[in-house]
Amino acid sequence: MVKDDILETQGLSYTYADGTNALRQVNLNIKTGEITAVLGGNGAGKSTLFLNFNGILKPSSGQVFFHGKPLEYSHRSLQELRRKVGIVFQDPDTQLFSASVYQDISFGPVNMKLPEKEVRIRVAEAMERTGISDLKNKATHNLSFGQKKRVAIAGVLAMKPEVLVLDEPTAGLDPMGVSEIMKLLKETQQELGLSVVISTHDIDLVPLYCDYAYVMDKGEIILKGSPKEVFSEKKAIRSVHLRLPRIAHLMEILKDKDDFEFRETAVTISEARKVLKDWKNSRI
Amino acid sequence: MINIDHLAYTSKLKNTDPRQKMLFALLTMGVCLWADSVVVSILVLLIMGWATVCQGGTRFSLFCKLLMVPMSFLILGVVAVAVDFSGNELIFIYSVALDKMYLGVTQAGLQNALHLFFKALGAVACLYYLSLSTPMIDVLAVFRRLKMPKLLVEMMGLIYRFIFVFLETADNMVTAQNSRLGYSGLSAGYRSLAALMSTLFIRAYKRADELYTALEARGYDGELNVVEETSPPYKWTGFLQTVGLNGLLVIFVLWMKEYGGGVVFW
Repeated sequence: MVKDDILETQGLSYTYADGTNALRQVNLNIKTGEITAVLGGNGAGKSTLFLNFNGILKPSSGQVFFHGKPLEYSHRSLQELRRKVGIVFQDPDTQLFSASVYQDISFGPVNMKLPEKEVRIRVAEAMERTGISDLKNKATHNLSFGQKKRVAIAGVLAMKPEVLVLDEPTAGLDPMGVSEIMKLLKETQQELGLSVVISTHDIDLVPLYCDYAYVMDKGEIILKGSPKEVFSEKKAIRSVHLRLPRIAHLMEILKDKDDFEFRETAVTISEARKVLKDWKNSRI
Repeated sequence: MINIDHLAYTSKLKNTDPRQKMLFALLTMGVCLWADSVVVSILVLLIMGWATVCQGGTRFSLFCKLLMVPMSFLILGVVAVAVDFSGNELIFIYSVALDKMYLGVTQAGLQNALHLFFKALGAVACLYYLSLSTPMIDVLAVFRRLKMPKLLVEMMGLIYRFIFVFLETADNMVTAQNSRLGYSGLSAGYRSLAALMSTLFIRAYKRADELYTALEARGYDGELNVVEETSPPYKWTGFLQTVGLNGLLVIFVLWMKEYGGGVVFW
């Protein structure tokens, strides 16, 4: 099955008022129903790119397409677009404006002018999905960082977007929190058929959870492909302040320095296990 | 401040209809101020103390400690009312001579001061009852239902939410400054404080900008419209005790004014 591109950019450039060229000629395609990662060091332009996705920023040149149609920047089209392209920001403290968890989550659906009953159903669903139903009566400022993050995600999920865009969803979380959030995203994506875009510099989770990856540097896309393809470009990856997944690095050392002969490359633990087993079997 | 907020969330009265609590606190405060009587003020203080401690489950020692907070302002203010300045020594109960003038306490001044002291304490107790039993969210919900101007309620909500973010930021920055000896001497202290204030201002400005972006991404259209949690059911009987109690207080005050004679002083 050929998957459609839900979001697409063509020659997208964005220059801030102070003259910073945050994006230069960015061409990318976000496939429907996949998890796409945008990798890049600090200041590579990931956040700027995301704000172009839902029309908060208007490209200096080039275009953004949603379902193949170029974005329109009239008030009404923007409201409609933002309903379908939901962004979860990196710092939940900038996103959560209400001291009440429940009220904050209801904000998006209320703005969609849904009847109150529907709003309540959606808020309950979103809380259930993100596992925060027991926080309903807590104050936002008494939550932990990870809990706030979940509330922020619930606030966007309650709008039932088609694309969920998350800026650094795992930044600042403990290892357990990271895998919980990523599992939550994977589940949500599979059950609701969402398209998910995340920016991250947490390299190791990309091959585990993502279907496709773009690597950005200084506002440009320098690599794209499946995580395996991307991480086989070792030189390019290292030149932009990123690194290989630890497993890929280990496999590289085993191969280059210790003369192991692997038929395939591996970027995750399960892949490495398989490759090593094959190697063992081939020796018998 | 953060403490009080936390206590409101853990109060046993948290799930009582906030309208009921607000009416109880404000009406009783009104009666306390109107009565202008030491006895009534003490009664109000006791009632509010009882409601907060026994009904709300706030620790008694904590309630007392909180009452001590405004004490220093109160005592300073009351002293200013009680102490008078005059050339005639005879009007004073007690006085000290300062050159040709006398500084001292008159009977009326003392009476005023005493009334003021207890009136203020009673009113403070009413407000403590409210803030120790009702989270700000619920108070705002009542304001919204009372059709207070939307902008005002929105502003109050945002300020309330971001006070905590602001305090946390400031706290972290002070810790960071302290760990680099930012407050080791007087001049260093002033320098650090100046840097703290300007940075906080810039941070707040940036945060406001980010908040706006984030709200826009969720379809912000100029108004912060939300749906509230289902509130406890409205029961008119809940207001009975408030009205009854204040009725009794009013009758008591009127009776004292009529028949109390010399007791009116109290």
